[in-house]
Amino acid sequence: MWKYIINRLLRWIPTVLAVLLIVYAMAFFGAGDPIKLIFLRAPGDVAYNPERIEAMRESAGLNRPFIVQFGDYVLHLLRGDFGNSLTSGRSVGSIIANAFPITLQLGLAATALLAVLGTALGVIAALHHNRWLDNVISAFALGVWGVPVFVSGPLLMMLFVKGLNIMDVPYGWHGLFDSMVILPLLVLAITPMALIIRQARAAVLEVMSEDFIRTARSKGIPSLSIVIRHIMRPVLTPVVSQLGLIVINMLNNAVLIETVFGIPGLGQLAVTAITSSDYPVILALVFIGSTVVLTVNLLVDIVFPLLDPRALSKKEIKEA
Amino acid sequence: MKEKIKTVNTTTNIEEDVIKSLDATPSESLAKDAFLRLIANKGAVVGLIIITLLIFIALFGPYITPHDFLSQNLEMRNQGLSWEHPFGTDDLGRDVLSRVIYGARTAVILSISITVISFIIGTAVGAIGAYVGGKIDAFIVWLIDLTMSIPSLLLVVVINASLKPPLMRWMETQYLETKNTIFRETIWVDFVLVFGSLALIKWPKAARIIRGQILSIRNKNYVTAARAAGVSTFGILTRYIIPNAMGPVIVLFSAILGEAMVLESAFSFLGVGVRPPMPSWGNMISDGLRVWHLHPHILAAPAGVLAVVTMAFSFLGDGLNDAFNPRQWD
Repeated sequence: MWKYIINRLLRWIPTVLAVLLIVYAMAFFGAGDPIKLIFLRAPGDVAYNPERIEAMRESAGLNRPFIVQFGDYVLHLLRGDFGNSLTSGRSVGSIIANAFPITLQLGLAATALLAVLGTALGVIAALHHNRWLDNVISAFALGVWGVPVFVSGPLLMMLFVKGLNIMDVPYGWHGLFDSMVILPLLVLAITPMALIIRQARAAVLEVMSEDFIRTARSKGIPSLSIVIRHIMRPVLTPVVSQLGLIVINMLNNAVLIETVFGIPGLGQLAVTAITSSDYPVILALVFIGSTVVLTVNLLVDIVFPLLDPRALSKKEIKEA
Repeated sequence: MKEKIKTVNTTTNIEEDVIKSLDATPSESLAKDAFLRLIANKGAVVGLIIITLLIFIALFGPYITPHDFLSQNLEMRNQGLSWEHPFGTDDLGRDVLSRVIYGARTAVILSISITVISFIIGTAVGAIGAYVGGKIDAFIVWLIDLTMSIPSLLLVVVINASLKPPLMRWMETQYLETKNTIFRETIWVDFVLVFGSLALIKWPKAARIIRGQILSIRNKNYVTAARAAGVSTFGILTRYIIPNAMGPVIVLFSAILGEAMVLESAFSFLGVGVRPPMPSWGNMISDGLRVWHLHPHILAAPAGVLAVVTMAFSFLGDGLNDAFNPRQWD
């Protein structure tokens, strides 16, 4: 077990470094260096003085070879220093520190919501296998999975605000316990929920055909407690294994959702950074995003065998 | 003695039955079989009809739009629904229906190019991985996992942002050298960047599945048997591997097509993909969001159409999956 965990950890580090290298190289060779970008943005030709720019590049160490600069960037990253924003000049670390908690709260709340609702719907669908309730839930999961959040968000907003007139226009961030958070949360949770519904449904259907469920039934145990005692555990395993996919889905959707509902989180930060080519911010966001995804995958790999000991032996056989 | 004869008789009966049943369904081809299963699925059929309609609309867009998608009419701004303008007009007095139709053109052209490019890259890389094996294969698998673990929207944006300046510079030098105005059309830069960067995101998915298909089919007994019988590599490829991989590949093609369409509009929604005045459903939704409280139809038209199309892709994809992989539940 320990060998397995250490093995996973050792693979995690070069992967994160490789992501960073790819993104850094793209910004470095594609966009050019930050000093030039700052000056090209300055109005008029006044600021465009080649000698001064050269001097500033020299002092910022930007005329060193690529690999040296990349090494420097990584060393700064290890100390938690992401550099400074090109547009505002503030440190990227502090900008992100303001936006991150909002996205994190939204993401965690949405994950909790979708885990509970998704498993419940999946279990209900499986218990009504091939009856109308199952068909409705399955069709809902299938339809919802494809629709992007910047479509479902506005459509639901129009329905709730204009059609049913049951809420105010949700805009901005007023804390997690404000009513304005309901719609963004729902929209963020609804797409990955489809994944959980299908997984949970499949898992329950598989478990229901197993001998120990038949035994439990024949002993006269009511079906609700059968579900809770015997089915929940096998259902949670596929749900946990989907966590990496869910997190990546949420990070992508956060960018779109926060634009639709004007929430000042990481997603909106990304959009403003992109439209103003603020590379240090973009770089930091891609780094954080992929590190989160890779870390979740790592945690799933570590936790998964604890939930389902069969998985470890299967994996080891596959790798050998 | 009697008993023995009886048993013999029953076995021959069973064999006859089997032969009869085989005769009754004269070796239906895999494709026909799959097609029959597909059209038995109502959701998939509806999805297929909607997508066929979409491609038709995209192809014949210029002939069926009631108005010019660019012509502005400031006296007719933000009009509601009418016979003249079935989806109303937007804040510049442009006909929304015509813009939605042209948006379909953008979506279909871009997503088909994205899918084809990512399939070419994916097939090449996946096949190399499966056939060469060893360290190169391990590297390819690692690269696929790596690209799939970066949030795609952010990666696309980075690729887009870093490819744009060199491409613009190249276009400018080409223009100065050739004086050909085609190099001044920034719309092509947008298009190339969108499908270039989206194909870079989508190929790993294609590569992973194609690699898996090649690996699993290559080790099947019938392929070994064919090889032992002296069938050439080309023969094995065309007679066994390609037909058997066809099902999953078709499923994959429809999935990537749908995802590419969503990504293209998401990208344009964020303002980095197809830029106005060229209509894309994404930038129309983004425009619509600014005025939706007063003029909901400007937002509802593109969002509604995109919702219908994405659902159609989901149902078709699910139907294709059931049709081609009947035993696999997913």
